[in-house]
Amino acid sequence: MKKTIKKIEPILNKTLNKTESFIQSRPKVNFLFGALFEAFDGLIRSSKDTAKTQPFIRNQMDAKQYMGGILVALFLGWVVPAIYFFGFLCVVPKLIVSFVVGVFIVDVIWVILAREERINEGGFVTCLFIPAFLPPQAPLWLIGVGAGVSILFRNITGGVGMNLLNPALFGRLILTISFPTMVVSGWQEPFIGFPTLQSLTYGVDAVTHATPLIAYKETGEVTSYISLLFGANTGSLGETCRVALIIAGIWLCKKRIANWRIPVAYLGSVFIFAALFSLIPGETMVPPMLQLLSGGLIFGAFFMATDPITTTYSQTGKWIFSIGCGLITVVIRNFTPIPEGVMYAILLMNLVGVPIQSIVLKLKYRV
Amino acid sequence: MAKEKKSKKVYKNGFNLLEKYPIEFSEKVGTVKYDGPIEAFDFSFPRKKIDHVIINLCPMEPWALPNSAVLKNGVRNILDKLDIVRTRYFPKSHCYVVISTQETKLIKESKQHEGHEEWLHVHTLDPIYPNDAPVLIVKKILGLDIAYGRNTVEIGVLVLDPQTVVGIFEHHIRKNEFSTRLIPISGTGLRENKILEVKPGTPVQKILDGNVREDIKYRVFVDGPLNGSEVKDLTQKIDWSTKNVVVLEERDYKTLFHFARVSELLFTTSLMGELRCCIYCNYCDDICPVDLEPALYWHCYIRGEKQKARLYALEKCIECGLCSFICPSKLELLQVIKECKS
Ligand code: SF4
Ligand code: SF4
Repeated sequence: MKKTIKKIEPILNKTLNKTESFIQSRPKVNFLFGALFEAFDGLIRSSKDTAKTQPFIRNQMDAKQYMGGILVALFLGWVVPAIYFFGFLCVVPKLIVSFVVGVFIVDVIWVILAREERINEGGFVTCLFIPAFLPPQAPLWLIGVGAGVSILFRNITGGVGMNLLNPALFGRLILTISFPTMVVSGWQEPFIGFPTLQSLTYGVDAVTHATPLIAYKETGEVTSYISLLFGANTGSLGETCRVALIIAGIWLCKKRIANWRIPVAYLGSVFIFAALFSLIPGETMVPPMLQLLSGGLIFGAFFMATDPITTTYSQTGKWIFSIGCGLITVVIRNFTPIPEGVMYAILLMNLVGVPIQSIVLKLKYRV
Repeated sequence: MAKEKKSKKVYKNGFNLLEKYPIEFSEKVGTVKYDGPIEAFDFSFPRKKIDHVIINLCPMEPWALPNSAVLKNGVRNILDKLDIVRTRYFPKSHCYVVISTQETKLIKESKQHEGHEEWLHVHTLDPIYPNDAPVLIVKKILGLDIAYGRNTVEIGVLVLDPQTVVGIFEHHIRKNEFSTRLIPISGTGLRENKILEVKPGTPVQKILDGNVREDIKYRVFVDGPLNGSEVKDLTQKIDWSTKNVVVLEERDYKTLFHFARVSELLFTTSLMGELRCCIYCNYCDDICPVDLEPALYWHCYIRGEKQKARLYALEKCIECGLCSFICPSKLELLQVIKECKS
């Protein structure tokens, strides 16, 4: 392996260098392909920047690895289980549509037109979210619209590092507003049992109407927790196999990419508030365990709320942020007809992120 | 279990550089010949009364002089010298020998002496950079606060390294000639990591001769690549306060499949990534040894509000450089901090 690399290295290096100087010396070519080449080059070669000021050595972790870690976790956390439960043909075309529309069309056009920033791997993360929180039977165009809107929204509000709201959730919100029935129908029975080629490709061809949360609201029926945990239940494409999500999420926290405070505080507060509310006499409240294990809560807590850009920067603020998310989630689930509260909770708390941050700073530094 | 605990500490309030950049020095101590003018040893004794003397035996940077090079004859030797120096120049003061928790043998040896001498105290510190910075060592050992940039002498504390103790002893007490200093040289730009006996006054170029690799570009730093400074002019002279020389390979070209060759790039000047926006990852405030939030300064800075940055306890920063070191977006945080301070 090492030998082959040694052999092709000079050739590849030379070709890339030539291409680079070719592109950069021609403004028109650079205009069209500069960003694309840079993105590709950045994947297989290190940057040539060196440290000009102290410190003169730097840690190897960079923003690419950071995003790459999230991608890996998402892939193992939801894509692999979803293929098992719903079939290859249900999952992969959605991913392709999402990536093509989001990254390769909207983002590339944006980069060419706006000429401000390079193509960013953050777009892949956003686009990997879109199919995950739509029903398995959602049409492909819906996914495309979602991905396009998300990336556009992200770029308009300033690109990676500058958004106020989580772009993927914002895309989902737009879909909910524009196509209210589409996003809450088309649930599919997951496949259960030993996987066959047939099941891995097509999944089970059966449509149901209710997710566990909807079922509870309508009939008061509590789905078995074990089946919820392992994903043998209806739900959005990426949120059902909670074991895998939890493992991937914990891995992210261990790698220090996700901040452990957020899932801990979010899940903890959902449990506590749910328990508190169920003490109110005369009302039927969703029991705490069902709260934890249903809907997109686990997915949201580990992957969406932890998006570092849209939470607060300070660590104390992160606690407040996540407890707020927990409270809003429980309130929406218990007191409103909306079946799922995670999206609204995170978006709402994203909005108050800035005030939380400045209050925390005021208290901490007394300014 | 023990290992887990260790790696947890690696990130929180400091960084275990020794683990990340293991540097081995060759056993033999080399000598650098130089016939030009040299600098004589001179220790300026503080005017203020000294109550506490801290002896720093805990190098926290892998490129620093290892204890084994100075304490060749065991710790007894240096403690005896310390006792004589103390009685003569800092009577009634207490001495605190600070040793890294990893050096169990040295700790055991020193503890034996601690029992017999009431002026001697042995302390241990985790080998986490920058625990040996004056501000932190004074805080951790004596519980005293001192602002960054102030001399510890003002609060009656003297921080010495073992070489200086030997120097004071030989030069001021024994009146012997004391003209060489041990300088460790290390880095990817060298053929071998060595400890050299250097006469202060020798230009850096002299030290590099015959030791650097000729096949690559390199850059030279004194006092460590983290918060030391770059030697642009190789005629710059080594002096009595120079701690070490680090020569790093200058990787100013692109490396193919860098993700599989991290070790090649690790101890070079490569940024190991490209400049981005802050992604609020909290790495910088987790690693900051004095619990600051460096990203705040960066945000103030790019908004042009340098004044505002000072509101967030900026003066506490000890300029250790860890925040820039760890930042995945490769922001020049230390530079921003310095500019905001001025
Ligand atoms: S380490 Fe860098 S990217 Fe992360 S929060 Fe600090 S300044 Fe921002
Ligand atoms: S340079 Fe200053 S702000 Fe940065 S880690 Fe060190 S002490 Fe903290």
